[in-house]
Amino acid sequence: MLTTPRLLTALATALMFAIAGCGGGGDDDSGAAPDAEKATQAKASGNVTWCIGKDTSGAFGTVIDNFNKANPKANVKLLELPEDAGEQRRLQIQRLQAKSPECDVLGMDVIWTAEYAAQSWLLDVSDFISENGDKFIKSTVDTTEYEGKNWAVPFNSNAGFIYYRTDQAKEAPKDWETLYKEAASGNGVVYQGFRYEGLTVNFLELLYSAGGSVLSEDGKQATADSQEVKDVLKFMADGIKSGAVPKAVTTYKEEESRRAFESGNATFMRNWPYAYALGKDSDIADKFDIANFPGYGGNEGAGVLGGYDLAISAYSKNPEGSLAFIEFATAADQQKLMATEASLPPTLTETYDDPAVKKAMPFAEELRTAIEQAQPRPVSPVYPQISEAIFNNVFAALQGDMSADEAASKMNEEIQKALETF
Amino acid sequence: MEAATARLGRGKRRKGKSYGSEERRLAALLLTPAMAVIALVAAYPIAYAIWLSLTEYSVRVPGKWRFVGFDNFTEAFGSTEFWDSVKNTFLFTGVSVTLELVIGLGMALAMHEAFRGRGVLRTVVLVPWAVLTVVSAITWRTLFEPNLGLAPVILGKIGIGGDIVWLGQEGYSMAVMILADVWKTAPFMALLLLAGLQVIPDDVYDAAKVDGATTWQRFRRITLPLLMPAVLVALIFRTLDALRIFDLPYVLTGGSNGTTTLSLIAHQELTANRLIGYGSALSVLTFVIVMAVSFLYIRTVGGNIKSLAEEG
Repeated sequence: MLTTPRLLTALATALMFAIAGCGGGGDDDSGAAPDAEKATQAKASGNVTWCIGKDTSGAFGTVIDNFNKANPKANVKLLELPEDAGEQRRLQIQRLQAKSPECDVLGMDVIWTAEYAAQSWLLDVSDFISENGDKFIKSTVDTTEYEGKNWAVPFNSNAGFIYYRTDQAKEAPKDWETLYKEAASGNGVVYQGFRYEGLTVNFLELLYSAGGSVLSEDGKQATADSQEVKDVLKFMADGIKSGAVPKAVTTYKEEESRRAFESGNATFMRNWPYAYALGKDSDIADKFDIANFPGYGGNEGAGVLGGYDLAISAYSKNPEGSLAFIEFATAADQQKLMATEASLPPTLTETYDDPAVKKAMPFAEELRTAIEQAQPRPVSPVYPQISEAIFNNVFAALQGDMSADEAASKMNEEIQKALETF
Repeated sequence: MEAATARLGRGKRRKGKSYGSEERRLAALLLTPAMAVIALVAAYPIAYAIWLSLTEYSVRVPGKWRFVGFDNFTEAFGSTEFWDSVKNTFLFTGVSVTLELVIGLGMALAMHEAFRGRGVLRTVVLVPWAVLTVVSAITWRTLFEPNLGLAPVILGKIGIGGDIVWLGQEGYSMAVMILADVWKTAPFMALLLLAGLQVIPDDVYDAAKVDGATTWQRFRRITLPLLMPAVLVALIFRTLDALRIFDLPYVLTGGSNGTTTLSLIAHQELTANRLIGYGSALSVLTFVIVMAVSFLYIRTVGGNIKSLAEEG
């Protein structure tokens, strides 16, 4: 079953060496090792279709143009999927289940790796990662891993920040407890409390900061019936009861929280970096700043990693060309382009030091720290069910439909049930 | 195709000869293509969904599956989520369709009157119905956004629930969902009813007026009974539609606060969780419920139409 993908990967990797100009002479029938430039032109050929979410900034198109210019024999084209991640996943899975060769390179949300890999929908790119992995921020590489192998290359990353009003709080609080206290006496803190994936992220950020987890290290056991989970749930529910968090937060996704913050209805906000540039265009432009997550219960703060990885579909007819494109798109030049033109947080460590990137993202330093400190969401082929168990029960606790203890044990039970799915 | 069949059949009958079984055979032959298409696009997917609902596909091992009999159904019947969604779906359907009927009838009666600009009004009234449900749902979500939305501000000004988070509380969420649905589909109901009103001959009213019937009596004794067939068709359309409601709760609340519906949980299990067997079982149950309701309509209400037609 795995022979074909593995063979293709070996092939593709051999080609990568050739492209990088660091050897690979032995693979060629012609005997003589071609020089790097010729190899690129000879090897990166054929059609490659890149299936990723909507190209809102146009930066994906620029990357493709750059690649096609550098590789005249290759032709990459973009297949734009909807903006909504759930819809992107649905459309990709529809093609993968039908073994369609339409998509060669898949733009995957970091939480899909385990599921796709378990279904043998991806080609193993472990060799590429072992060769180039150390250039990437480690946490982003971790998102490409499932059962000891790497199935994708980090493309862009993401991690949350605390946004705070500089005219209402002197500095960002050192821990969540203080933040909630200041929020209660101030104008409150808003986050993403709608019943969806975002709530899972918001909850896990607190839980990871508290040193808790929902899944055992080996991913086989639910660990949500713990004191940490109960404490965090109680903390969140009390936040609403005490007025530190407005009741309305249970209807907020990213955009609603951003609007509430920008219209002056909150002192603090948890949100992704995208809200920064927009905030600088709003009425509170000069009245807010961002900070890395505060700690919790004496522990250091921790975030949850977002972002996208690029993977090669197991049904691709052009794995060599696909890998060549992935290498191109994740290299320094294009990462810089993504950061400056699309505000997509780079996955390469060095890109954050680039003056142009620092200019486009004044928070580059904090962002790299946030990404380095961020932890992955539970890695499991049944992640969607695990996340549903999390956000449903966190939501019930926020609404006061369940006590923190009840919600924790129900969450644990449902995660365990998800893990036992056939 | 159907038109051609009908014309041919009528043509033969007009000749006044009975072709008996030969004609029936021809009818069957002519119907075959249509039947084949129906089988392909309706029967096959339904049969396949029923088959899938008896199986379980692995979410870890590619291609692995097993036959589980009625396990998926037992699981559904044992889950509170399923019964909650049944309850919500029927509550939503009952209230929204009733309101749409009452409001739609009012709109139809108003539009039936002759006045200047009637044509324009009839077009304008249909605008909400022409808007995609998802788009209108997003609009309603924005309107009811806490602090910033227009609706809470206006409602607060007139002293209604200044403190209510409309889409964040049980009951209120359902109310917004029903409001959004009524806004969108009452015009559609009105259009169907208006068509019904227009076929009622004016001389019946003239005769009633001569006999001294009041406006209410004319409405109660003439309009309503003669409108019944149109009302029933409109009711069936709307009820079956409402039972499958998906877009409104998906956008407005994500199914939280007592707004989960059958289609929503089927979608969640099928596409998000990729539980093909269980998700199909939920779809099959939705299908069975919709079928049962339509049978009920046809049995109780269809008979009424017939007797009405006979009386007429």
